[in-house]
Amino acid sequence: MAIVRTEKLSKVYNPDTVPVHALRDVSIEINEGEFTAVRGPSGSGKTTLLNMIGGLDKPTSGNVFINGQEISKMKDSKRIDFRLQNIGFVFQHYNLIPVFTARENVSFIMLLQKRDKKEIRQRADELLDQVGLGERKDARPVQLSGGQQQRVAVARALASEPKFILADEPTANLDTESAMNLLDIMEKMNREQNVTFVFSTHDQRVIDRAYRVITMVDGAIHKDEIKSPLEGRGVS
Amino acid sequence: MMTYLKLAWRNIWRNRRRTLITISAFVFAVLAAIVMQSMNRGSYEVMIDRMVSFNTGYLQVQDYRYDDEASLDNSFYYNEELRDRILNADERIEKIVPRVETFMLAANDVSTRGSVVFGIDPEKEQNFNQIENYLAEGRFFEADEQTAVMGKGLADRLQLAVGDTLALIGQGRFGMSASGLFEIAGLIEHPIRDMNNSVVYLPIRTAQELLSAENHITGLMINPYQERQTDAVAASIRNSFDDNELVVYTWPELMPEILELMEMDLAVPRLLTVVLYVVIGFGFLGTVLTMTMERLREFGVLLSVGMKRFNLSFVVFIETLFISVMGVLSGIVLSWGLLKWIDPINLSGDAAQAVIDMGFEPIIPMSFAPDQFYIQGLYVFLIAMAVFLFPLIKIVKLNILEAARS
Repeated sequence: MAIVRTEKLSKVYNPDTVPVHALRDVSIEINEGEFTAVRGPSGSGKTTLLNMIGGLDKPTSGNVFINGQEISKMKDSKRIDFRLQNIGFVFQHYNLIPVFTARENVSFIMLLQKRDKKEIRQRADELLDQVGLGERKDARPVQLSGGQQQRVAVARALASEPKFILADEPTANLDTESAMNLLDIMEKMNREQNVTFVFSTHDQRVIDRAYRVITMVDGAIHKDEIKSPLEGRGVS
Repeated sequence: MMTYLKLAWRNIWRNRRRTLITISAFVFAVLAAIVMQSMNRGSYEVMIDRMVSFNTGYLQVQDYRYDDEASLDNSFYYNEELRDRILNADERIEKIVPRVETFMLAANDVSTRGSVVFGIDPEKEQNFNQIENYLAEGRFFEADEQTAVMGKGLADRLQLAVGDTLALIGQGRFGMSASGLFEIAGLIEHPIRDMNNSVVYLPIRTAQELLSAENHITGLMINPYQERQTDAVAASIRNSFDDNELVVYTWPELMPEILELMEMDLAVPRLLTVVLYVVIGFGFLGTVLTMTMERLREFGVLLSVGMKRFNLSFVVFIETLFISVMGVLSGIVLSWGLLKWIDPINLSGDAAQAVIDMGFEPIIPMSFAPDQFYIQGLYVFLIAMAVFLFPLIKIVKLNILEAARS
């Protein structure tokens, strides 16, 4: 079943002055368990597409369905809640809360979900262990390297047990070793826990590891290729 | 909730120096405002306390005509039954003191002076205003003596001393002639200068006999346990009266001019306080504005990952509150300590003499009235609320994508 489905999604910026068509009738489906990279040159519309899928922006026309629910027409407060329960985010600049420790950053999302405190602590520790930061749980972001911060961000994104994770240029600020390490972790989670990842990226290292690569040009899908068969992992 | 409080608390210490400077500004404003008001109010509190103790009482029962014509003809009958009725009217009544008051000529063997004669119960009066503490010479009379205690200023003018005879000449109730000779038992240095120069105290029964006003008094002074109970106790006593022959006044009704004077004097420090808070308020706005603008991206991220705008606003509100509360509490504690340390300021030299000449003690007492402390908290809270509007509007209108790009 498609977790994400877009129907003729279009986005036009400045429609009354100098219209910029960021997206043109984009229709895609992303299934559970996919490890998908959206690539394309700057201005091709990949970040806009991710923003639409993440419910961070509203389309000019078309629809976005997450798990069958149309999110582009939701009210702001409902969309925020929907994001909290269904979507995990990993940002290019990590964007951790600087005054919180790694554990608190991961726990925070679950606190917003009003989960049980004991469960929160246990899950935060598990996730940090999974991303290899079991020994740095009490470190604040400023005490962590860029790669470590991004791994905390991945743990944070997973904390809410989302339907899928959107990662906007997650490796752009990382050195090769950190980037490969991060990709290993995300790929492992995808393989072993069937976590769905959607990346927007320029980074060839990410594109090489992705099973599906969607190439965008001028706001439209230019190419959609599946590089590795997903059926073997139960993905249709 | 604890997470939000923790987040807010840590956020305000992100830039420790900026936060400390902002808190210091509040401390300074609160300190200055309290000290200014305390000095002004302190002097008035002493004045009011003396006027209430020696003149009006917090409440006073009079004949309904006495306010228009302060004459013995408008005195009223006072006995135990009336006293008990008033005492039973409200259990918050602490003290009740009868007085008979009239104007008479005080004379020695060659000259006379106008005087205010008070017939008092020495025991009750002592309990009411500790008048014996002001005794400069001699002793205070007992209840049934035929002796007088007079203000030292009046005694000096009449060149009378303890043991001398004072002649009182005047008019009693309903035009009866009233005159008598009284041995001077003591002289008091009355704390109210005008009274020091004019007062003569007699035992109340002696005065009533002199003035042909047996069992009559001109005023019944009443103090509640706490000043703030004055109006409520007055209402209770009013309700206990069967007719309109007796009326109850509160001290502000009996001496409105002092209150007006006080309000006029307090206007300047109040205005300065407002100016001070406006300046501090803009400084605080600058801090909050910076704290908001430099975190717009973070706000955008928090909204992206699912934090509700209300909760984010709440965190920023708590930050605003933390800073202002720390400022105001530190200011209150510091000002309390400072006031305790300097209270009272003893004047010396020409300044002291000038104050003495005006009839006051050469000191500037400090006021510790609770309202002048907690009102600062209210002002600062209002400033915090006004300043909080900026981040609130920012958060409500925040475009997540624009914030993330900022």
